[in-house]
Amino acid sequence: MLFEKEEQIRRVSGSMEKQALAGVKVLDFGWALVGSLTSKQLADHGAQVVRVESITRIDLTRTNRMVSMSSATNPDDKPWFTHLNTSKYGIAVNLKHPRAREVIDRLIRWADVVNANMVPGTLGRLGFGYEYIRSIKPDIIMAEGSAYGQTGPMAHKWGVDGTGAALSGYLDLTGWPDRGPVGPNVPYGDVVLPFFIALAIVGALDYKRRTGKGQYIDGSMFDVCIHQVTPALLDWEANGHLQTRNGNRIAYAAPHGVFPCRGDDRWCAIGVFTDNEWEAFCHVIEDPSWTREPRFTTLSSRKENEDALEELVAEWTKQHSAEEVMQMMQAAGVPAGVVQTMQDLLEHDPQLKEREFLVPLEHPVIGVFGHPTPPYKLLKTKAQVRTSPCLGEHTAYVCTELLGMSDEEFIELLREGVFE
Amino acid sequence: MVDSLLSGFQALDLTDEKGFVCGKTLAALGVETIKIEKPGGDPARGIPPFLHDVPDPEKSLYWFAFNTDKRSITLNLDASQGQDLFRKLVERADFVLESFTPGYMDSLGLGYEALRRVNPRIIVTSITPFGQKGPYAQYKGSELVASAMSGVMVSTGDPDRPPVREGPDSIYFRSSAAAALGTVMAHYYRENTGEGQQVDVSLQEVAASRTSSDLVIWEFDKRLIKRNATIRTVGARATQWLWRCKDGYVFWPYMGGPGGAPANSALSQWIDDDGLENPLNQVTNWDEFDFATLPKTELDVQQEAIRKFFMNHTKKEIAEEGLKRGINASVVNNPANVLENPQLEARSYWVELEHSELGVTLTYPKYFFLNNQTENFIRRRAPLIGEDNDDIYANELGLSSTEMVALKEAGVI
Repeated sequence: MLFEKEEQIRRVSGSMEKQALAGVKVLDFGWALVGSLTSKQLADHGAQVVRVESITRIDLTRTNRMVSMSSATNPDDKPWFTHLNTSKYGIAVNLKHPRAREVIDRLIRWADVVNANMVPGTLGRLGFGYEYIRSIKPDIIMAEGSAYGQTGPMAHKWGVDGTGAALSGYLDLTGWPDRGPVGPNVPYGDVVLPFFIALAIVGALDYKRRTGKGQYIDGSMFDVCIHQVTPALLDWEANGHLQTRNGNRIAYAAPHGVFPCRGDDRWCAIGVFTDNEWEAFCHVIEDPSWTREPRFTTLSSRKENEDALEELVAEWTKQHSAEEVMQMMQAAGVPAGVVQTMQDLLEHDPQLKEREFLVPLEHPVIGVFGHPTPPYKLLKTKAQVRTSPCLGEHTAYVCTELLGMSDEEFIELLREGVFE
Repeated sequence: MVDSLLSGFQALDLTDEKGFVCGKTLAALGVETIKIEKPGGDPARGIPPFLHDVPDPEKSLYWFAFNTDKRSITLNLDASQGQDLFRKLVERADFVLESFTPGYMDSLGLGYEALRRVNPRIIVTSITPFGQKGPYAQYKGSELVASAMSGVMVSTGDPDRPPVREGPDSIYFRSSAAAALGTVMAHYYRENTGEGQQVDVSLQEVAASRTSSDLVIWEFDKRLIKRNATIRTVGARATQWLWRCKDGYVFWPYMGGPGGAPANSALSQWIDDDGLENPLNQVTNWDEFDFATLPKTELDVQQEAIRKFFMNHTKKEIAEEGLKRGINASVVNNPANVLENPQLEARSYWVELEHSELGVTLTYPKYFFLNNQTENFIRRRAPLIGEDNDDIYANELGLSSTEMVALKEAGVI
């Protein structure tokens, strides 16, 4: 099991050591996936991130009832929200209140970085667009994520995760040649754009360290997703070949597929790229005579007879569990891996456990459960993960401690209804 | 001249295809990135497709795609003279990017601890299938294996076929992006403190980090989400996200609550305008529309009407008219469609890069993101094998022509 002992349960992952982004201050208007994940990268590495939320414009992951313990009424009982929002401080402000500016202006002055991902133009209409922010803090670094970018005819259109996947050509290339495109049940564009925006922000922090200048960053899911299909774009423009779906096959390996194993809906992926790997593969399956037939002895002959090859491989894999297939292949140096379920990830994968993929932390409403650490590990300045904020949990702390408001001032704004 | 975010820094790129995009990204941000290839060329130059379908290490379009803006030198790291030269390069470098099996660099005397003694400021970023340590660290990996082991593949594909990988090398791409992010974080820390460090990236873990929503469904409710073609489960009910249209496919996620409301009402209006039967009319308040309280039979009736509606239109109609109406549909573009997209055109997304030695100019994406203060653009085609050997070994490291010849004869460069 993932969490065996009570003593593993902590409020903060890792020890209180140095962090890469200690001292960096982030005003965070991010939400949903792209904005939340962008600031999570920064917060988990030591930046002080103040996420501004509003009950009138509540984050969709605070309402999504994907698990049965989540209620329709409590914004704080959603484990998915926590996955996306670790290590942040949360304040709840009604941005449409006439005196909200007194809080936000102070946050702008306090911040090094502003992160946002509302539909382009929205933040400006609320009175907090880049020009305004820069007028208060000339060297601010501001990053906005969006589906299509801040400019162009589609800029102001709303988009979700699959938007980038569909428009970029990624979806058209995924699935079987005789069927329509398919995508995974997990995000594609929403979970890669944040890496690029966070990269741009940290790069801009270093640029500011050297030059004193801030900048504005425009990150688009559509723009970013296209990069991964560049070979297919070049194949079209240079050769006139329109690539399409090809199942699990690729041109330079065979067998290269996902094969049925013993048990209910259990599978193992195997990819044989080199001659050495083919020999090792044959040895693992105990050198049946078919492996020496001319139709299978070279990569090009295996590619030509791939249907027959895959059937013969499946005959063998069916006799073993997926774990046995992986272990036997890997012991012989052949790339192979179980098609793991979420249960496998959480309960049977010693490698993810070794990497602290999830660490058990206590959330005040949800209780103890696995919190994700960043999947890239800085070995000297380890990420430190705290649980996500409840809605408005840190409003008083942020206003009085971080922004230095007097208690009287804070109470007055509270009475006026600036905070939610 | 406008500069780039990380102008003035230098990376040595030893990666294979798992990590190409890390160096490509840093190069677009202004880092001088030197690809170090085996004498004779990097094996990934054998990955198809090839220019004009001619297999040739100087014509791999895969190589072209992911190595823009890099310089190239050849170097045999297995030879002790090659290791000495590498240490010289590390003395003046800021980053080393590598994707060897964990332990291989150590076996050459070029592991992080050894390189740190040469240059305490160095940042070594490793991109490997499962990470530097742990029971699977020595396992071999690939895009396919990472897809399987990460839990992404288990929910991808048609129910009556095996699980299926994503078409492009999507996990290599996102792992390289994560690696670039970790590298630049380590750089920021280094510039503030003088301390370098190692960054350890696992393909499996980067891909697994996408599965949050499916993970919590197992952790809290012990339900497993399986591959279900074009139906996606987010929340209480599985709904259709990809639809067939007259001449292709459309991405249109049927979602409840305020998130889906504007698109749902716009779509319902369009179905009415088409004069088609419209069960969506029965919904009076889309903001409060909740799949959790909708009987499955009613959902089926609604989705059947939506299916008929999309089959009534072409990709072009859905793209153009749908944009005006705000139905939030995205057509499933093929690679040819992508190159013609007006939004990208308006954002000057493309750049023509000249391959003068091949007599061709090819169109590439120009940037990963836009900035107002710096230009972080892709400017130069991928390098030829050892294209910068003379420049770097002779002009920059100061090797004499005699030494160069000797190294060539010994198979070191």
